[in-house]
This record gives sequence, structure tokens and C-alpha cells, in this order.
Amino acid sequence: MNFTFHRKRITGVLVVVPENERSFAEEMKNFNFPEARSLKLKEVMGFDKRRVVEPGVCVSDLVVFGLEHLFDSGRLKRDEIDALLLVTQTPDHFVPPTSNIVQGRLRLKPDMLCLDLSQACAGFVLGLMQAFMLLDQESIRKVVLVNADVLSRKASPKDRNIYPLIGDAASIVIVERDPEDSVIHADLKMDGSRAGALTIPAGGLRQPSTFETAILEDVGDNNLRAKDHLFMDGAAIFNFVQTEVPPLIEGLLARTGVSKDAVDYFLCHQPNRFMLQKLAEKMKVPYAKMPNSVVEHFGNNSGVSIPTVIAYNLATRLLQERVRVCLAGFGAGLTWSAMLLNLGTLSFNAIIEYK
Amino acid sequence: MKSIFKHKKISAIVSVVPKEEYRFDDEYPAFKLSPEKAKRFKKMMSLDRHRIAPPEVCSSDLCLYGLQQLLKDGTLKKEEIGALVFVSQTPDYFMPPTSNVIHGKIGLGPDVICLDINQGCAGFLLGLVQAFLLLEISALPKVVLLNGDTCSKQMDKCNRISYPLTGDAGSVAVIERCEDENPIYVDIKNDGSRYKAILVPAGAYRTPASPETIKLNEVEEGVMQSEQHIHMDGAAIFNFTMDSVPPQVDETLAFSGDTRDSIDWFLFHQPNPFILTQMAEKMKIPAEKLPNNIVSLYGNCSSVTIPLNIAQNCAEPLKDKSLRVCFSGFGVGLTWLTMVMNLGPLPVCKIVDYQAG
Amino acid sequence: MDKPKFYEQLAKILDVGEVKPDSVLRDFEAWDSLAALSILAMADSKYGVTIKAEEIRSVVTADQLASLVESRQK
Repeated sequence: MNFTFHRKRITGVLVVVPENERSFAEEMKNFNFPEARSLKLKEVMGFDKRRVVEPGVCVSDLVVFGLEHLFDSGRLKRDEIDALLLVTQTPDHFVPPTSNIVQGRLRLKPDMLCLDLSQACAGFVLGLMQAFMLLDQESIRKVVLVNADVLSRKASPKDRNIYPLIGDAASIVIVERDPEDSVIHADLKMDGSRAGALTIPAGGLRQPSTFETAILEDVGDNNLRAKDHLFMDGAAIFNFVQTEVPPLIEGLLARTGVSKDAVDYFLCHQPNRFMLQKLAEKMKVPYAKMPNSVVEHFGNNSGVSIPTVIAYNLATRLLQERVRVCLAGFGAGLTWSAMLLNLGTLSFNAIIEYK
Repeated sequence: MKSIFKHKKISAIVSVVPKEEYRFDDEYPAFKLSPEKAKRFKKMMSLDRHRIAPPEVCSSDLCLYGLQQLLKDGTLKKEEIGALVFVSQTPDYFMPPTSNVIHGKIGLGPDVICLDINQGCAGFLLGLVQAFLLLEISALPKVVLLNGDTCSKQMDKCNRISYPLTGDAGSVAVIERCEDENPIYVDIKNDGSRYKAILVPAGAYRTPASPETIKLNEVEEGVMQSEQHIHMDGAAIFNFTMDSVPPQVDETLAFSGDTRDSIDWFLFHQPNPFILTQMAEKMKIPAEKLPNNIVSLYGNCSSVTIPLNIAQNCAEPLKDKSLRVCFSGFGVGLTWLTMVMNLGPLPVCKIVDYQAG
Repeated sequence: MDKPKFYEQLAKILDVGEVKPDSVLRDFEAWDSLAALSILAMADSKYGVTIKAEEIRSVVTADQLASLVESRQK
């Protein structure tokens, strides 16, 4: 479905990554694969370092840390927050919503909206759309959009397809009205019939966690995984991205009359370097325009990946310039989305470490 | 947060309850209650019966069934669905979102927005707000709001304090645009500093599920509870409800220019009849205008109590009339939300029993 | 505060014929979380005060409870 939003803008981006860094070279000793093959995988996929939370650290901890940083540095005032959107698939609790917990921990005002949306990899674009819709309400002038996940908790240490690439992080993005007559175009698609390609089978109410769901099973490709763990059908996801994402982006550009050359950057969700290179090749976009290095430094951090690209690859540029970008988020659902907008100048655009 | 939404209406409501009904009189021996204590409890909370879903039935199954009924009887067509909003605190999975799973089971096209919102007691009203926001997108035809919870799975069946008051249910509401302005006045407030008053401590990411968290602990004589169960501070919730909801109702009535007399029905979330009677008294609302029978008939089913309240108590008058209603949902979060609007006519407004398969 | 009236209301909640000022609350058969809730409700609706569950648990006799509610009325 096509969307058009008027007079909205992103004014600040902060990404919070855990201090704790793991390296593929050390972790590959856990896998049931010969070292040479693992190193090949590292080369092709672009695995290297990733950031992972310590046990006991949750989404609300990362978010509270980031927001306190913004309050302390004068970038944001508590009372300015009219809505807190928290997009996650790894909430602190089933009950209550994590946005309420953050609101309580930070003593934010009662006259605000707290909303938890369940989404992962496509969650930044979806969250932006939600923020834009909220800003059309008179009483909402500033939306804090949070994307956050601690999916490393659900990665089987014996699953080479998942374990080395998952990273944890939170992003805090301020979204406000734009005094200029700006236009943002987006497209969003869903296909629930393929939902099983990216799932955590147990843990919810369909199949609660038990002793059985924690047992590692040989899933047939030398990897071991439990029903409590994150499952990704790698081939299906690769095909999904290659088939659905280019037409979505190209359709969006065609509808808006914007050529690929006129787009400065394609800022995509970062599943791994390999997939992004293939996507760039398919779309005939130079690698430099489609940054793909987030995974090798931070891991695939779910809905935070696009804000991480923004803060990592365009750190200083966006403080001074405005660029035209096309965002693309795709993943769990299955969901795929694209958004064309101008980005910058931002009043802050940084990555900080959670201690 | 105060807002006014215009040109929106609810056009159909179907609530779905498990057909398995259990009566307090049959259940109380399992609670280790003496007949006298049981009698006292039953009287105080006006307990009678509740509906409990079998183990294999989830919130999404109840909602899906309701949606299938609306599609089958022609009230709704697949191509009219622009968005599926699923509000629950008992989702099928952590990943993917349950709304996507329902999307796949119904077989909807790619141009349908699927959103999962985590909320409980205030969840029907929050879901309505979400639907109103989505309907500002002119290309979006109708929004299907699904509320569903199986809170019975988040407690021990012998927990005499919680279990008899709890019910499982799902609801489907169709929301669309209308010609009339029909302004809808909303006030939303949150106080997360008191979030522990209604909490499931373990099972998600703060404290993952483990052999420890499944263990039952005795919290009061004969009352067993694990860390994966709902922990409710009854007294804190009572005080919160009595302190926070009446002022918000007054505020919202002032906002909409209404008085107690101009409102036909006060359709509140139903935690239990005891607290609702207290509230009606405190707010000087005549008891006939504030139905409080849902817990006695179905149990407290989280956000579904409001749609059940509408269907149980107002279906007849709403068939061909419009009524001025004041909704209020309060609880988990802690969140409290009051909404004043014209409701109806609602030609489709019913409660059905869930049929599997 | 009309203390005799308070004890009458308390007796009704505890399902007994009479409550004396020095009655020990936890000795009553009906003394449980449900009774506490009823007391909270009574404090709110009949005396216009909010008291907390911990406060109810911290008093021993009916008279102490009456004093607690009375102190909040100021």
C-alpha cells in the first residue's frame, strides 16, 4: 500500500550498542564445521564483530540509558515527549508494555501516549509511518521512536546460520513536524503466508516454553537449534529479498518520478553483507550507495539496523547536509517496506555504548 | 494526550468466547475454600461463571473465528480490509507478529497493514485510536481491530484470587469512515512508575522462562503462583482505579461538552463488579447506565470486556439507533483511556461461541 | 470520626456480629486479601480517604485501623 506524508522530519538519531563485543574468529570454535569452511563463511557474509548484551540486560535498559544521555546532554527534554513508540519483538515482559516501563523509569509526563508495536527488521520504516500518523494529531508535537531488540538471547550457540550475525541494540529517533513543505513517500507490503520463514517457534502462547522446547535438535544441516531459538530459513529469506525488495523500491521511485541517480543512499536493513551486495547488483546500484558494513561491526541488529547505518555511515555528513535517501526494511512477517525522504540536517546522529 | 477524531465509526462487532463454560459453584472446591469463604467471595465479586479456552486455543484463534464469521456472512469482504490491528498481551509468538499469522491464514493480499500492539485492559480503546489514525490514509478502506486474550493461561487454575474472575475471549470490530462528522473525544494517560501492579515477571526477556520460573510458590494460603503468571497487586489497582479514572471521565466529558445526563451508557472495562459498583457510586452514575455483568457471565477477559459489554448489554438498542457512550479502559501499564462518542447503529453486534476447525 | 459506626461497618465486612476496639484483626476468620480490599473500598467511599494495603497489614487492632483512617481525613 502506498503512503504519502506531508511536513514530517527526523531531527535526531541515537543508537545504543552494548559495550560487550564478540568476534567471529573466537566464536567459530563452537560450531560443528571445519575452521576453513567457517572462515569462508566469514569472508562471504561479512561476519566479524558484533555487540551483544550481558545476561540480565533488556530493551528497557538500553532505551533508558539512551534517553538519559539525551536528557543529560540537553538534546531532549522529558516533557517534550508526547508519544513514545517502542518497536520490538523482545519485550521485557508479556505484561506490561515496555514503553510504559520506560515511561515509568524516566518519570515522563502522564499526558502522553505509550505504544508497543511488535516488529523486527521492518520495524524502523513501520515505526516512522506510525510516528508520522501520530504527528497529525494536534496534541502530538514530538514523537520518540524507539527500535530495540536483544535477539542474541534467542540465537542458538550451535547454529552457525544465526549465532554469529545477531547483534543487540536500541535506537532513539526523534520525529517532529517539518515547517517546510516536505513530502515523504512509502510503500508497505505483508505476506503472512510466509510467516514461518523467520520465527521463534516457542515462547509465546501458541507453544509455551518448556523443558522440551529448550532441547537442542539437529536440524539436518550440522546446526543445532531448539524450538525456543530463532529460526531463519536462509534460502527462503534470500529469495524473498531478491524477489520482492527491488520491485518495491523501483515502484516507489517510478511513482514519485525520482531516478536511482537522484537518490544519494539506499539505506537498507542489514541482514549481512552478502545479501546487500546481491541486492545492489540486482538493482544496479553501486555498492557505495548501499552501505553494507553494519553487520561486520555490530551484527544484524533487527529494527535498529537502519538507524545504525544512518549513524555509522553518515555520522557527520547528516549534521551538516541534507541528503535524499531511500530506506528499505524487510523481514519478519514477512514484511517489506520502502520509504523515500530527505534526511538531515540532524541535531544529533551518534552511536554510544551501553555500560 | 487529548485528541478528537472525526468521520469515523464502528460498523460491526463480533465477540468470540470459548464454548467451555465453568461455574464457580462447581469450581470452588479446587480452590481450597471453605463453603463459607466461597459464599462470601462469590457474593462480594458477584461470581457466577466464566469461559476458559482449551489449552490448544489461543487468542488469535478466537479472533480469527470472529473474522471468518464476518467474511462468511458478507458483513465484510476481504478486499475491504486495509489493516489488521491485533491487540493482546497473550500473542501467539514473539516472532512473527500474530497479525501477520492471521493475514496468512485468511489469505489476504500484500497491501494490508498488519500491526501487533501489546496492551491489556485499555487495549480495545487503544486499538480504536490506532484504527482512527490509520483511516486518515485515504487509500485504506476499512480497519479490522482484533482484540484477544487468554489470560487464564497466565495463572494457576487453583489460584482462587485470580482464576474465578478471569475469562478468555476475542473480538473483531470493523472501523471505517463515515459521512457524519461524529467527533470522537479521547483522553489517554499513562503512569509506568506503577507498572509492577500488573506484571508477568518471567517468560519474556527480563527473566527468560526456566525450570525456576515455572515453579509454583504459595503467595497466600492455598494460592499458588509462578513467576510466569500474572502478578496483580489488587489493592494498588483498586486505589489507582478509584483515584485516576473518575477525574479522567470528568475531564473527557468536559472535553466533549457532555454531562452524566447526556451520556446514555458508561461502557467501562470490567475488572470485577465490586470495583465497578464503587466507581459508579463515586462518580454518581446511576447503576443502570454502567453495566457491570461481564465478569459474572464471562470473566474479566482483558481488553475484550468492552466489546463484550457492548454486545451483551447494548446490542438491541444499537440495532437501529445511535447511542451516546462514554468508554473507559484502565489497567495494565498503568494506562487509562476514556473515549466519548456516538455509537451505532450497529446492525452486526453479537457474541458467538468458538468452534474449532 | 464516629468510631462505633466504623466498628459496625468493619463487622459487616468481617461477617461477624461485633467488632471491639481491641479486637485483633487477623484473628477473624474472614480476615484475608478480600477483606483488605473491602476495607480499602470503605475507606474511599465512606470516609473519602486512600489507604494502602501495606498500611492495613501494619495495624493490629480495630482501633488502630480506625485511627489510621481518621488520620487521613485531616
